[in-house]
Formats: sequence, structure tokens, C-alpha cells
Amino acid sequence: MSFLAPLMLVGLAGLLVPVVIHLIGRRRAKVVRFAALDFLLASKRKTARRLRLRERLLFLVRALVSLAIPLALAKPVTSCRTGGPQVTRGPQAAVLVIDDSFGAGYRLGGRTILAHEVEEARRILDQLGPEAEVAIVRASEASTNPGELSRDHLRLRDTLANLEPSARPADLNRALARAAQLLAGSSHRQHTVFLLSPVPAAALRAGEPPWGADGPALRVVDVRGDSPLPNRAVVHASVEPDPSTGSRGIAVTAEIANFGPDAIEGLGVSLRVAGRIVATGTVDLRPGERQPKRFLATLPPGKRAAEIDVELAGDALPIDDRRWLHTEVRDEVRVLLVDGDPRTTRHDDELFYLEAALRPGDRADSGTAVTTITADDLGDARLDDFDVVVLANVHALPAERVTVLERWVRAGGGLMVTLGDRTTAADYAKTMSPLLPQTLADPVDATWGATPDERASRALHLTKWDADHPIFAAFSADAPELRDASYTRAFLLGPTTDTTDRKVLARFTNGATALVEAMRGDGRILLYTSTIDRDWNDLAIHAGYLPLVQQAIRYLARKQQHRLDDDILVGRGVALPTLELTRLEVRAPEGKGAVFEGDRLAGRSVVRFLGTEHPGIYRVIGTDAAGGARERDELAFAVNLDPRGSDLTPADPTRLPPSGTGEGAGAEPGRRRVELWHAVAAGLLLLLLIESLLVVRS
Amino acid sequence: MPTLDPVALARLGALPIRARVIVEGALSGLHRARLHGSSVEFAEHKEYSPGDEIRHIDWKAYAKLDRYYVKQYEQESQLTTYLVLDASGSMEFAGGGLRKLEYAGTLLAALAYLVIQQQDKVGLRVFGDRAVDVLVPPRGKTSHLHDVLAVIDQVMAGGGRGDEPPAVALERIAELARRRRALIVLASDLFDPDDQVLGALRRLRAQKHDVVVLHTLDPHERTLPYEGLTLFEALESDHRMLANPAAIRREYLDKMEAFLARCATACADGGVDYHLLSTDRPFEAALLDVLTARARQRAPGGGDGGRAAPVDHATDAAAAPAGAPGRSRGR
Repeated sequence: MSFLAPLMLVGLAGLLVPVVIHLIGRRRAKVVRFAALDFLLASKRKTARRLRLRERLLFLVRALVSLAIPLALAKPVTSCRTGGPQVTRGPQAAVLVIDDSFGAGYRLGGRTILAHEVEEARRILDQLGPEAEVAIVRASEASTNPGELSRDHLRLRDTLANLEPSARPADLNRALARAAQLLAGSSHRQHTVFLLSPVPAAALRAGEPPWGADGPALRVVDVRGDSPLPNRAVVHASVEPDPSTGSRGIAVTAEIANFGPDAIEGLGVSLRVAGRIVATGTVDLRPGERQPKRFLATLPPGKRAAEIDVELAGDALPIDDRRWLHTEVRDEVRVLLVDGDPRTTRHDDELFYLEAALRPGDRADSGTAVTTITADDLGDARLDDFDVVVLANVHALPAERVTVLERWVRAGGGLMVTLGDRTTAADYAKTMSPLLPQTLADPVDATWGATPDERASRALHLTKWDADHPIFAAFSADAPELRDASYTRAFLLGPTTDTTDRKVLARFTNGATALVEAMRGDGRILLYTSTIDRDWNDLAIHAGYLPLVQQAIRYLARKQQHRLDDDILVGRGVALPTLELTRLEVRAPEGKGAVFEGDRLAGRSVVRFLGTEHPGIYRVIGTDAAGGARERDELAFAVNLDPRGSDLTPADPTRLPPSGTGEGAGAEPGRRRVELWHAVAAGLLLLLLIESLLVVRS
Repeated sequence: MPTLDPVALARLGALPIRARVIVEGALSGLHRARLHGSSVEFAEHKEYSPGDEIRHIDWKAYAKLDRYYVKQYEQESQLTTYLVLDASGSMEFAGGGLRKLEYAGTLLAALAYLVIQQQDKVGLRVFGDRAVDVLVPPRGKTSHLHDVLAVIDQVMAGGGRGDEPPAVALERIAELARRRRALIVLASDLFDPDDQVLGALRRLRAQKHDVVVLHTLDPHERTLPYEGLTLFEALESDHRMLANPAAIRREYLDKMEAFLARCATACADGGVDYHLLSTDRPFEAALLDVLTARARQRAPGGGDGGRAAPVDHATDAAAAPAGAPGRSRGR
């Protein structure tokens, strides 16, 4: 124990006061010579024990009063072991950085980590005292924080009381930097940052620390103590059509992560479609492992769109045990075939085989809606009504039409370009480059030779296709239905250095490219270097033709179908196509939302919705020009948590900013200073009360 | 009846004068007053004639003979009165007025005066200091009164000391008066740690002596009016006690009342004439109270030597009745 004002201990000499009073009192007692002393003695004997006790008690109380007064004035302090930070009372500047990320919703001992942090923050606020200027900074990503320190502790307490875990991960770098900015504006000498957080490693980025050695003192309050925070979460989920289970078939892949130090066996995972559990499974996870879990399901009959979520068996942090998806599966892939070589003879037409392959037997359940136009009609076509456009042996398009097509592709369209005798490398080089993965060179002709066998021996064949690609996933490794097809002519491709957005999917036996894929914005382009009919090859009469073109079309259409199935994270903006609607209302899962109409909508093809503060499904109500309002499944989207926040593994303390010299002399580390004079003063009042009672009763 | 404050009276001068003032003051309130002893006996009947006291009519004879006869008494012998004065240390206490010794001595002096006036014999025994034996044998001469009063005066001037218990002094009186009945008047505070004094009084009464106790107490002893821290010192020993009177007052008063009740009850049970006197009560009133009470006891129906009702003259300040029966000497 030490004293803030040790000089006041001189007052301990006052301890002699009751002794002196006692002695003087005895000396000053009135002397009476009394005859009936025996009666007095007998009376006193009866009350002697009580009186003696009372007198001694009175003496003791007075001595303690004399002791307590200088002791209280000397302001005794001591220190005790504590899990919390050392806090010095008095004028100073302090910032309480409170982790309100969704990870702070982790339940620890029946309460959330945030509740523990708020309790600690209140205690710190009490200990700082009313003279301290304090700010409360929330550590969740992109949270709004105060602009200055405040002495309005009541408002600070209200802020603490209203804190709820957000749906965002923690961004401690940003929060600490904000704390440093706030403290920099304070005139107080003593600056302290109290960081109330489990300090997950994922919340700290490497980089320049927000302050140096002369910065504020950093006191970390980790309410978890030494206990780990095991957590498991669905960190990613995706959905794609699964033609193998029908036109409404979907395949959902969820990635399950174990962020705990212990292995998990038989962790239950369930898939819910349109609010109903349609599949369940289990997964085993080693510590720190991530594993995909794939479910196959079908949408309910008559449903084109559905809400999907994958959920784990509950744990201490339930919010990240669920991940939402919203998918819209069209009954048909809308394909626009642009015929570059139309013929009056049906089987000579460039698209004869392709149309037959996309609508075998012209069945309505083929899953493909085919529209065929000529290249001249392309200018009148509404591209937004189609998922896939096939340019089959068309002349080089005018530049303006190429631009429209390119914009459509970048918005998510799928374009397939097939070549033939109507295409020339020179013409394509002039205008078609934006629509090609690679420039064209002259075609190779393998038809020369004296005899048919000789010519046949020189024919090209498909080989080296990408077996893992969705287009070729249906084929076996050797796939004679593909390999046996003979190619007599095919365009060679020009040199390119683009290796990121371009990928060769299949090659001929001479090494030339047969099929190449390129990414353009949200869309894809496939370039087939031969004809789609039998002019340059006989693939169309091989068994591999039909599945190949169908898979190619579905692959190209997939992006269109799942435009909104990208993982939209909480807090990120979402671009919504206006679809020529006059009013768009976005309804968030918790009921709030936003309305786009009037100037916010007029003349725009896309609006940006920023209110994605909660995970779940966001529905969109659209009103068309005729005033009809309905829920637009094609615009609904799912918002999910940033999986970084699910990993609560503690950070290496060295990654935290250094604790600066901003704090005055405090208690030794790991110990907290406790001021005792309040208790002494309270005891003094109690002693005075007891003394008064004793005096009155005596 | 005009009375003098005891303190004022104490300043009047010599004890004989004070005794006379007291007696005359007391007697002025009575038609006739005598200090009755027990040595009067029935002599004969005489037929009633006007002038005779009606209260001496023998109603039994009237019932038998249908004539009025009056009882006539004759004195068997001279009344011998022993005055026993407690001069122990405790009698030296004075709360705010006279010392108890002074009060008791003055009152006994007045009685001695009264007895001598009746031509009876009076003796004096003073106890308290074990080393000093003060005894004045009973005599009936007027000059003897001066001797008695001189001794009392001397004792009062010397102050109370010693712790000789009253029982010892009374035993000595019992020996002196064993041959004939006597009136024994004890003036004391009865502070006897062994309570033997009550037994001694009962024994005297058993020897047919007429015993009167003048229990003399200071008002402070009955109220303990002190406040604040007080150091009480004993008068008969070296005992001292530091106490807050307020804290022990209730206990003390309870014990004092119990003591007084015990004394009164014991005296009443033993036929002892008990009078509780407070030193702030005027002497004349106190003397008159004693005489009146005794006159009542000797009246027909009052009982002669019977069970005496204890009287607290310290609190019963009512004036005595206008007429008190006298004693007719033998005619």
C-alpha cells in the first residue's frame, strides 16, 4: 500500500487524542464522597461488563476515527492482480476501442463477448473518473465513430448500453488509427487506448502501426482470458444448375471451416431450399481445416427462384453457422443463333445441326429456347432477352454492333463464335477483336492429297481437351465420340500474351487451338475455330456433338443465370439492373430497405444498393411502367458475412501497435491500482455514527 | 406550624438551644405531646365524672354494669430512654445540606431535651469509631441534659468516622437495659453490609424494649442526582469507583428502594417503630412526625408495642394531626 499524499499521515498523531481525552476525562472526573458506595458498586458490578465493553468500544472507535481521518486524507492506494487493465483516475484522455464485430457475439459464459466488453468498459469508465475525456470507438469494419473526445459520461454509458454486435468483421487497424487521431486532438498529457477485443489475427493487417513509441499507452482487455474460442462456420456457398437432376436441379457447394484447436467429427450440415430442409449431411474437420460439402437438390415444382441456405449445427457463434444463397433457374436457356450462312436447303444451313442439337426432337423440355436470326437482323435484336448468342460463320460485324455485343458480354452474356468460309482473319481483325479471345490467322487446310485415304490421314482430330472443364466434364478421358471427328479446315490463331482471361480448352492433333475461352467482365466468350456444321468437320454427325454444344451453351449461360449468386458480403454495395422499371424497392431481411424511384432511377441502367448491413435474403419489388408491382426474383440477392470475422484465433501480440508512453506512472503491469480512500472515508462515517450511538446510549 | 430549614437551624447556635427550638416548635403543633414509653400500667377504675377523658372510659365495664367507669393508670417507674447515634463514616455524607450525622445528632438532642422535660431518664450511646466508646449513662436530672447534648455536640463537631456496625452498639445497649424495659431510639443510615442491624433491632424488641429507628438518609442518596463522569469515594473504606451516574442510576435506585423496603418490612415485622427521615426535612416536622406516629400507636386500637407501620417522613411531609392523645400519669 502506498499513499498519494503521505504528508497527511502526520495527522496520525491525532491517534493520541482519544487517549488524552480518556486520561483527561479520568482526571477531570468529579469527586464525590458517597456513603452508599456499596449500592453503587453493586449496581456497577451488574453493568460493569457492559459498561466496560462500551467504554472500550468507545475508546476503540475514537482511536479508529483518529486513525481514519489522516489515512483518508493521505489517499492510500494499493494494487491487485487483475485481468483488466490498470486504470489511473484523474484528468486524462482515453479511447475505449470496443470490438463490436459479429465475432463479439460469441457466447462466453452465458453472455456474449460484447456484453463482457461493455461491462469492462463501464468499469474502466468508472475508474477513469468524471475528469477523463473519453471516446468510444467501435472496431467493426466501416463503423461510424465519434469525432471527438467527450466528458459526457452519461452519453458514453448510453452508447455502451446500445452497443450490439454488428454483422461485419473487426478492423482493428482502422479502429486504432481512429483512436490515435482522437487522442492527438486532446490537450491532456496522459493518453490511453483501451482495446476491448479478443484481438483475432484476421482483424489485424500488417502495416504501419498507428503510433510510435511516444504514442498513447495501449491496454488490451481480452475477456476470453486464456480460453480458446473454437468456432466453425460456413465460409462460402455457391449454387449452380445441375442438369443431371433435371431442369430445376441445383448443386450447392458449401465450404465448412473449423477455426478451433480440436477436431470435429460428424458435424451436422443441412441444406434448406425455400424454407424447407431438403438435405442433411455430416462433415469431419481437423483443426483449422476447411472442407467443401456438396448437396444436390431440385427447386420446388413451379419455382424458378428460391432462397437457399446451408446451416451447421449450432455453436457459440451462431450467426456464421448459416449462409444464404438466392438462385434463379430459368426453365430455358435463351439462345440467339445468328446465322452467317443461311441456306434455303435446310440441311445446308449453317445452323441445321446446331439447332437440332439444342432442341433434340424439338422437345419443349429441352431446356433451351432457340431464336435464329441472320446477321443483318442482329441490330434489331434485344440482347437482354438472351442468355447466349452464337455468331455462326458471320461476316465481321460493324464496329458499333461489336460494341453493343461487347457491352452485353461484359454485363454477363455468353457469346460463342464459330468460324467458316464467311469469316476472314483480316476482316475480323478490323472490328471483331473485342469479341475474340485471340486474333485469327489464316485457316489451315488438311484436305490436300491424291487419294481419299491420304486426305483422311491428314485430317485433324480433337485431342488434349480440358477434362475438368464443365464443357468436357461429361466426356471420358479418350472420348471416341469426340476424338473420331475429322476436321479438314480450322482457323489458326494469332499470337497472344493474355494468359489470365484466356484459356485453351481443346486442341487439334496438330497443336492448333480448337476451342478457346475468354472472360470479358461478367461474361464469357467461346471461340470455336472450325465450323459448327459439317462444312469443315464431321463432328456434327458424331455422338459427341450434341453434349458438347449443349454443355457449351449451358456453360455460357451459367453466368447469366447466376449473376446475383456471387458472394455479396455485408456492407458491400450491390448493383441492381433497373430493367426499365419505374420503382425499385429493396427489402432487407430485418425489414428495412430502400426505395429507388424518380431521379434515383430515371435514365439509369443500374442502381447501387448500399444497405447490406445484415446477412440474409434481400428481396426486390419492382414496379413497371404500367404500374404493376411484383417481386422480382431475378433481382433478389443474398448477403453473407465476411468469413474473415469467423476466425477468432488470437493474433500474435507483437502485431499490435506498441504501448507508448502516453500514460503516467501506473501500477506495475498485470496489476491494477486500487484507491482505498473511498473505503476509508466510508468507514470513517460509519465509525462516527457508531461513536454517536455509543455516546447517546452511555 | 412555621418551620426552620435544617441548615438555617444549624446556624442558630449551641445545640441545647437548637434542641429546645426544635422541641418547642414541634410541640406548638400539638395539643399535648409526650414521648411515650411502655412503662405505664393500669391501676384502678373510677366512676366517670365530667372532665374525665372520654377515651379512657372502660366500655366493657359499662356493658356489664351499665355505668361509666374510667380507667386510671399509674407509672410503674421512670421512663429510660437510650439514644443511639450512628457516628460512623457514612453519616458524614452531606449531599447538599446538613451532614447526616449533624441531622441525626440534632434530632436526638431534641429528643433528649423532650425526655428530660418529662423528667424521664435519658442516656446516649455513640458508635462508629471502634476505637472510641462513647456512652452516657441514663439520668433524669436537668443537668444531665447538658452532658448528653455536650457529647452529641462534640461528636458532631468531630465528624463521623469508623465503620463500626450498628448491631454492635445495639448489643451493648441490650446489655445495659436488660433489667428493665426502655425506649431505645436509634438514629442511623443503617448502612450495614451484613444487615445485622435489623436482627439486633428485633432482638431488642424481643426483650420488650420499645425501639424506634430514625433512618436518616440524605436526599442525594435516594436520587443519585450526579451527572457526568464522577469518581465516587467511600466514606468508610478506601473504595473508589469511577462511573457515569446516568449509566448506573436505574440500577442504584432499584437497589436503594429494595434496601429501604427491606428495612421497613423487617422493622414492621419485628414491631420496631421505623421512621425514614430525609436530611432536608425540617427538624420540627420530623420530630412532630415521629411523635404523632407514636401517639397514634399508643392510642386505643393503635396497639401498644404492637406491629408498627413503617413511616417514610422523607416523603410524607403532611402535617401531623391537630390533636394527639397524651398519656395520663398515675393520679
